[in-house]
Amino acid sequence: MTATADPRAQGTTASPPEESRAPLLSSRRVTAALSHVYIWACLLVFVAPFLALLGYSLTGPGGTYAVANFQYVLGSFGDNLVSSFQVAALTLIVDLAVCLPAAYALVRFTFRGRRLIFSILSLPLYVPGAVIGLSLILTYNFTYHISSIWGLVLAMAVGTFPLMLTPIVVAMKDLPLVFEEAAECLGASRWQAYRRIVLPLIGPGISAGLLLAFIIVFNEYLVTLFVHPPGLVTAPLRVFNLIRTAGLAPTTAALAVSLQLVSFVAVLIFFRLFGSRNLKGTYFV
Amino acid sequence: MVLLVPAALLALLFLYYPLVFIVQLSFTVADSFLSPAGPVYTLDNYKAMFDRYLPNVLVTLQLATLATIVDLLFGFPFAYILVRRIRYRTLVRALMVFPMFGALYIAFGMRFILLPGGFATPILQLFGIDPASLLYSLPSVVFAMAIFTFPFMVMNVATALSNVDPTLEEAAACLGARPWQTLIRVIIPLTRAGIVAGMLMVFGWSVGTFAEPLLLGTINEQRALALTLYQRGVVQTDYGLSSAMGIVLLVIALLVSYFSLRYSRGALIE
Repeated sequence: MTATADPRAQGTTASPPEESRAPLLSSRRVTAALSHVYIWACLLVFVAPFLALLGYSLTGPGGTYAVANFQYVLGSFGDNLVSSFQVAALTLIVDLAVCLPAAYALVRFTFRGRRLIFSILSLPLYVPGAVIGLSLILTYNFTYHISSIWGLVLAMAVGTFPLMLTPIVVAMKDLPLVFEEAAECLGASRWQAYRRIVLPLIGPGISAGLLLAFIIVFNEYLVTLFVHPPGLVTAPLRVFNLIRTAGLAPTTAALAVSLQLVSFVAVLIFFRLFGSRNLKGTYFV
Repeated sequence: MVLLVPAALLALLFLYYPLVFIVQLSFTVADSFLSPAGPVYTLDNYKAMFDRYLPNVLVTLQLATLATIVDLLFGFPFAYILVRRIRYRTLVRALMVFPMFGALYIAFGMRFILLPGGFATPILQLFGIDPASLLYSLPSVVFAMAIFTFPFMVMNVATALSNVDPTLEEAAACLGARPWQTLIRVIIPLTRAGIVAGMLMVFGWSVGTFAEPLLLGTINEQRALALTLYQRGVVQTDYGLSSAMGIVLLVIALLVSYFSLRYSRGALIE
């Protein structure tokens, strides 16, 4: 967004002369107030499902407050949380191993068909989760004969690596070539230049990719429903199964709330460290 | 070029080959490809798609269309205010990530909100709506889907809007245009690409809807393709038919995404 330059321009054109002589209820002020109300109403609707679950997760039998529901999250749901973090961690490692070299190749080398290759690699983003899940479970069962955690991890990786690729490609493109050239003039090998110069400088882009992939993988239930190996149930899948079999329960809500809180904390940490600028061109504005 | 090999391998082995595999399966009878006599090829699965399962396709398209319309109606003003009037954009963006955590939580939360005696009961009664009628219904499915995809719509429209010079609107106002005239004659034509791209993107994401119809819909909404595909394929092991459903769903999603990318002019590699 080029919006960073706008506020100053708006400030000079809109507010000072009119507000000094405007009556208290000018149409401009009403519009401005309504705009804010509208934004906050929408945001409230976004957060409402979460708030409702939060409230519900705190209710005990007979309308009492019960933090005890959250003990389940670390107790009987503990295994699910561990598998979730495990799958997420392995997926992020696979994603990184795939995306870092690919982004370097796509940005630093010129060859025919680069755009085509980028499109081919981005396609997983546009394939519905149910289709990825179905095609993979059939292939795993009848061709690859995979039934370990890696089946799930690779399914997650193929669905999320384009998400990570985009911010890394953007960061590499924004990085001038001169730094690497200087390093190589001073005697660094290409690998040294990459590791010591490029990698730290595209750090924010990589972190943005990690954040996006983490949020998706950590909360993914649909592909997991299809391809999860026997005996391994991730936390979002547990939520899904519990809603289907046991209906609504405060403990289920507590698990869902915890998962969302973990994701939200990840987002907040990222915003704090890097700002939202590095998410440009991805899901976030 | 060697550097592209891991990415290419991952995509080939775990996306393209499986898709080719289900294309092949979609032309076989049920689970006949497992039989020692070899697969029995047929077109019946696709015939069924346009015959017995046509309502499923139509319901899927209906849900996606309605969710797209709701997103546009609420998303355009949201994006406009966000770009032109608001200083605390980072805060708004941080809160806007909540829907992206997953349709599952939204559907779960909304089911709880709509329960008799839930959060929404007093508000709905204020408008004279019976909350019990909403719990399992088309509007609540569409609403949950719209919340999930809202950020994508806002993202596309806001990007287009931030590329429109605000002075153009002021010029229109100076020349005597009413606000709605400015909207129709200036803002909408200039942001058309973003609006269309956003609508297509939301539509493409919505056709794969799964948790919302399952948790909030009636039997009718539960005919959505992704859900039927799961029932037929994994529960009833009719691999041929479910593969055909997968292919239909895939074709819809890819067609829509293709046009979305063409409109958004988002060429990253240039």
